[in-house]
Amino acid sequence: MTVREKGYTHWEGELKESRWVWFPLTRLGIKMAFQKRFFKLFYFSTFLPALIFLAGIYISERLEDFRFMLRGSPAFLKITPNYFKIYLSNSLFLFILVLVMIFVGGGLIADDLRFNALQLYFARPLRKIDYVIGKMATLSFFILLLSLVPGVLFILFKLLFAGNLVFLRHYPWLPLAVVGYSLVLTLFFAAYALALSALSRNNRYASLMIFGVYFISDIIFNIFYQNFHHPYLVLLSLKLNLQQVAAGLFGLSPPYAVPWSLSLGVLLGLVFLAFVILQKRIRSVEVVK
Amino acid sequence: MRAVVQTEKLSKYYGNVLGLSDVSVTIEPGVVGLLGPNGAGKSTFLKLITGQLKPSLGEVKVFGQPVWNNPHIFHQIGYCPEIDAFFPDLSGWQFLKEMLRLHHFPEEEARRRAEEVLKFLHLFGDKDRLIRSYSRGMRQRLKIAQAIAHEPQLIILDEPLNGLDPLGRRKVIRLIRRLGEKGQTVIVSSHVLPEIEAMTKRIILIHQGKIFAEGNIHYIRDLIDTHPHIISIKCDRVRELAAALVKEPEVIKIFFTPDPQEIQVETQQRDIFFDRLQQLILQLDLQVEAITSPDDNLQAVFDYLIGEK
Repeated sequence: MTVREKGYTHWEGELKESRWVWFPLTRLGIKMAFQKRFFKLFYFSTFLPALIFLAGIYISERLEDFRFMLRGSPAFLKITPNYFKIYLSNSLFLFILVLVMIFVGGGLIADDLRFNALQLYFARPLRKIDYVIGKMATLSFFILLLSLVPGVLFILFKLLFAGNLVFLRHYPWLPLAVVGYSLVLTLFFAAYALALSALSRNNRYASLMIFGVYFISDIIFNIFYQNFHHPYLVLLSLKLNLQQVAAGLFGLSPPYAVPWSLSLGVLLGLVFLAFVILQKRIRSVEVVK
Repeated sequence: MRAVVQTEKLSKYYGNVLGLSDVSVTIEPGVVGLLGPNGAGKSTFLKLITGQLKPSLGEVKVFGQPVWNNPHIFHQIGYCPEIDAFFPDLSGWQFLKEMLRLHHFPEEEARRRAEEVLKFLHLFGDKDRLIRSYSRGMRQRLKIAQAIAHEPQLIILDEPLNGLDPLGRRKVIRLIRRLGEKGQTVIVSSHVLPEIEAMTKRIILIHQGKIFAEGNIHYIRDLIDTHPHIISIKCDRVRELAAALVKEPEVIKIFFTPDPQEIQVETQQRDIFFDRLQQLILQLDLQVEAITSPDDNLQAVFDYLIGEK
């Protein structure tokens, strides 16, 4: 009995070369993340801060109705770029992103290395760059859903609740700042998590590194800053660099007296380093030494 | 016949370790066995022709195109690696579908193909089970499935029979022969010689990173002049035949075996010997039961070539 008699037949369709060759990888990554135990519960709970901030926007347009709750400090709910900066760069939000990276990013490359999947990928019409884009897009999906989507929705709801475009007339650059900072967050966290994931074949070690490097950088900053009080030490902390950049992009004074462009430079330098690591580590086969 | 795989002075070094040295070979459609002991360079050769490794020297062409950094060529190549390469948390069906999606098949077609190839390899009943619960043999078949699901013209199977039970081996051997009959090119590596022999007579012998021989196994055997051929003859009146044969100049030695109806003859000129043997059988009116060449098999060829005999 030949192969064809068994029903394994030629397909008459035409294969179309796609520019989105990485998309199946992204889809698989997202699907596998949601297959993880507790991830759905965790991820949906991470939208809680966004809901609270959204409620704040609603209240800001109905201050008279909520005066009894505000106890005379309505300035708290003044919707300015600072409000967006606080949402997108507060320590809790950044910590949530680190947790998302641990859940989703830890095993993204480590598991492929562990299960020898790279040689299957690269025996297909897929380049290394497509592979990296596919993996980055997986992480970007989760980060942008937490940063860009709420940021844009805040602006839209602010306009909707106000019933006019005054807010946008005051801050016409704000949508760009939201998009820009969301992209910085996405690029940094995706590259950071992927690079650390590529450094180990064990996703637990990779997750530990994602968690550890982020917090250790902050601890080191604190130790040095307590002793030397030099503002440039802020460049040692990943979290503070992100907060400095957020302040810069939203047109505010950075928390430390250091140009925010330097922090952006540090973050971009780390992204570059991450790509160097990815370039070295993503190989389809083990190299005998 | 057009060359499917062509290598020119192909070499691969891992630092100071030699993986493959100066290999020039042309592979044409059909089934070709890549033979060699563990560490001979078979997997390195396969990884080079699948573009997984960059050659240190030389070049590889598949269907006339360079394979390194040429992802489009992989629509025509199916690769089954030696070691397990899976996502254990996916079902067999999901895994195949995702692999097919990477070949740009639309969702529906990927689904259909995944189901068909699973049926073809008798895995359809277990399609929804997670790969982590598959047996070794099932995983091996799944690995082959992902290599053939997109119907490539060149299929490269690195030790595909590892871990299979005898029935599974027979099935895979039959599958490989069928793929060859269909006109596809199948390159199969193994260190188990009878397995290759059951699939094909076209072999490439590889040892210490070098190609020792390539071509038809019998042809290669004929080329080994330094090693005489052994021919076993089973007939009635073997002593009479031995007495006649001993006078023939092309006969080197005659052995009597424990079987009273069998003798083994050592000769260096096989064709002349067979002509003469035919004449003697007729002259002496012998009842011949069997004439075989016990050393005209892959094991013997391989042992001769790598100098173990």
